[in-house]
Amino acid sequence: MSAGDKFFHLADYLTDRLNPILVKETRQALKSRQFIITFMLLLTVAWLISVFGTVWFGPAIEYGSAGRAFFVAYFYVIGFASLFVVPFGSFRSMLNERDHNTYELLSISTLSPRQIVNGKLLSSMVQVFIYYSAIAPFIAFTSLLQGFDLAMVTLFLVMGLLWSFFVSMVALMLSTLSSNRQWQAINTIGMIGLLLGLLFLAFIASTAALSESIPFDEEEFWWILVSILIGAGSNFLLAQQIAISRLTFESDNRSSGIRIIFTLQFWLLWGGVWAYSFRYGTVAVDEDVIASCAVMTAIHWFVGGLFFSTEPDHVSRRVRRNVSRLGAVRFLMAPWLPGGRRGLLLLTIHLLAMALVGRLGSWPSWVQDMITAAALYVFIYVALGSAIGRLGQMISPEFRPAHARVLTILIGALAMIAPYLPAAFGFTRWSNAYSLGEVTNPGRTMMIISETAYGSGSHNLARVQDVLLILTAVAGVALLINLRAMFQGISEMVTWQPNNEKESASATVEGIS
Amino acid sequence: MIEPVSSAAVIDQRGEPSLELRHLHRFFGRLKAVDDVSFKAWPGQVMGFIGPNGAGKTTSMRILATLDTPTAGDAFVCGYSVVDDPDKVRRYLGFMPDSFGKYANMNVVEYLDFYARAYGMRDAQRRDAIEHVLVFTELRKLADKAINTLSKGMSQRLGLGRCLIHDPQVMILDEPAAGLDPRARVELRELIRLLATEMKKTVLISSHILTELGEICDSAAIIEAGQILAYGTVDEIQRRRHGDSSESTKARALHVRIAAGDNAQSSMHDLEKWLLEQPLINVVQCSVADATFDFEGSDEDQQRLLQNLMAAGHPVIEFHGKTQSLEDAFMNITKGITQ
Repeated sequence: MSAGDKFFHLADYLTDRLNPILVKETRQALKSRQFIITFMLLLTVAWLISVFGTVWFGPAIEYGSAGRAFFVAYFYVIGFASLFVVPFGSFRSMLNERDHNTYELLSISTLSPRQIVNGKLLSSMVQVFIYYSAIAPFIAFTSLLQGFDLAMVTLFLVMGLLWSFFVSMVALMLSTLSSNRQWQAINTIGMIGLLLGLLFLAFIASTAALSESIPFDEEEFWWILVSILIGAGSNFLLAQQIAISRLTFESDNRSSGIRIIFTLQFWLLWGGVWAYSFRYGTVAVDEDVIASCAVMTAIHWFVGGLFFSTEPDHVSRRVRRNVSRLGAVRFLMAPWLPGGRRGLLLLTIHLLAMALVGRLGSWPSWVQDMITAAALYVFIYVALGSAIGRLGQMISPEFRPAHARVLTILIGALAMIAPYLPAAFGFTRWSNAYSLGEVTNPGRTMMIISETAYGSGSHNLARVQDVLLILTAVAGVALLINLRAMFQGISEMVTWQPNNEKESASATVEGIS
Repeated sequence: MIEPVSSAAVIDQRGEPSLELRHLHRFFGRLKAVDDVSFKAWPGQVMGFIGPNGAGKTTSMRILATLDTPTAGDAFVCGYSVVDDPDKVRRYLGFMPDSFGKYANMNVVEYLDFYARAYGMRDAQRRDAIEHVLVFTELRKLADKAINTLSKGMSQRLGLGRCLIHDPQVMILDEPAAGLDPRARVELRELIRLLATEMKKTVLISSHILTELGEICDSAAIIEAGQILAYGTVDEIQRRRHGDSSESTKARALHVRIAAGDNAQSSMHDLEKWLLEQPLINVVQCSVADATFDFEGSDEDQQRLLQNLMAAGHPVIEFHGKTQSLEDAFMNITKGITQ
């Protein structure tokens, strides 16, 4: 066997162990016009920068800080390829599977949705590595110049790589959201806008960061860096899980993975706040940062909670079969299992935890009030959505979860503007003073709570206590309305026995109206 | 009410079916695309799935291929439920949709190689499977050709090859002959026949070209408006007449030919007169030397009729049942309902 044959056999052996999508996409990408054009453009532009940059600096290249300027220019070039071209390629790659009717053939192979998503992502990363390798000689050239900072260059290249990884994952996730061609067109335009926006932000941030020296020796720098990495990492996992869920077969479990990541993100955020407080003392944590965390958590759980709590309650035999046979384990796992009732339970547990974390922290009372109010608002609106979903299903089997979600958002939007309608139609006068009628508007109410920190105007703590009382009472009613459903959500998982399920398919026919 | 034909009992003795639809329902809002469809198919059987556009064929096939889930009921491939075990079903099933996409920048071998990898095949197993498919589909000489430059016929062969790459027990082919020229159709038909006879695969095939289905299928199911109207061997379906239900006294068309001698016209006249006098016979149509008539009797009655015909001195040279084609049967059985 010749050396060439041996090499091909080894390559064959190795690629057999790789993700099939990665092998296929890499083969296709390396032959594609888009890749060749991008690669050639990248080399040409980097070469032009080197030539014209050298001419521009002239003799100053020997003693000035040309190294940093050259690096910024090369970083823009690689940034365009890795932060725009590659993520957009990932996005189109999945859409093309649907457009060209190849996705169905892929989905009936034995590849799992996770393999499909990871394969697409990894093939994007292979392209990024190839682009990086193309720009590497030019960056090596900057190391010969003054002003070159190895730590800074390494940090920027690694962060650029991770950012590309993250944006490609988000692009892939977005590409799985719409199967309808009209939506795909809108989605594509939105994607281009989003990627250009993110690229612009990345350039602005990198330019600002490159103009100053990076404080590697300051502890706060590392806290911020780690926070960004954890935040991006957890959202990367979330995007990956959403993409996988979108590609998962209908009778399979599409929900638990997302629920687990939502839970993880919640505890990472508040765990991080507690870790920082523990390290530096509670006072060191800025009040506004805590308030922002509360608002972020509220948005996080409102979005997630609305999806989880309006899911269809039916749990397929396939999902049930894969749940532990131990009743105690099923009881503990219930909030993370699919179904709207259990979704509301998951939300309730975490909002209670959020309120508890808020109360336990020795933060100013306005921060505690804000955390409590945020938790109550989310619970009230999501519980309303959950009840609408169940009621709609009782009225018509054609009532879908999406209807409940849209209705909830419309009711929420109406509740936000309702207090201002009398003034808008001239029945009353506009007033800057907060009235209890505005309690349906979370934005305004939270703002008022934050203003009590500074004791401004007519807003005072007594009024805030009234607001919290009203919200608690409404949340109590919402809880009562949904309590039975949540209880059923647990009991149907705990009491279910595999032997109770009729394996005969005809048993399911009775489910048709 | 679906009338199971007698062959079903015979077929049941073949053991476990490799394909079974059990009270399958699929509703899209108020539209009942598939409404209580049940049938079975066994290894080595080529089953035609016939119906007008919008009858529910593709929906049923998509459910079998685990591309869709039933509203109720279930379907089984090699004993695995498409609802509960779609991943296992996929190992035993090859699906060729009516139109399938092709990847850009890929040749025939790379295309098959990708699907072999997608079905978890490695090393020699993968290489052997690709080679086997290339030989079976006669695509060996086109192995390095870009797939988006293949003709329609070659593309269909490639699609069939893709279905076969993991050696599935059951193959579902949705309109595989659509758009093919006559030669490509004949070649594809031969390949499908080989799948069942030599490779003992169960093939469920839908097509609008019923003459062709009649030649390659040994059984068929006729579906209209989401419901199965007839199901059995092709021979039995061809013999069925719209509205008939009794096995022993089926109305059937019979054909008689007499020797065309010098006085053929008089002989024919005598025959027509004689036939009209017989019980169980109506609607006699005669030409120069042939007579076709509807006979409503059992096999024994038919035997007696032939004896009497000979005894009456008619110069009979041919006497046989005139079976309708699958196309005729389809037109008789379906009512032209569209959803």
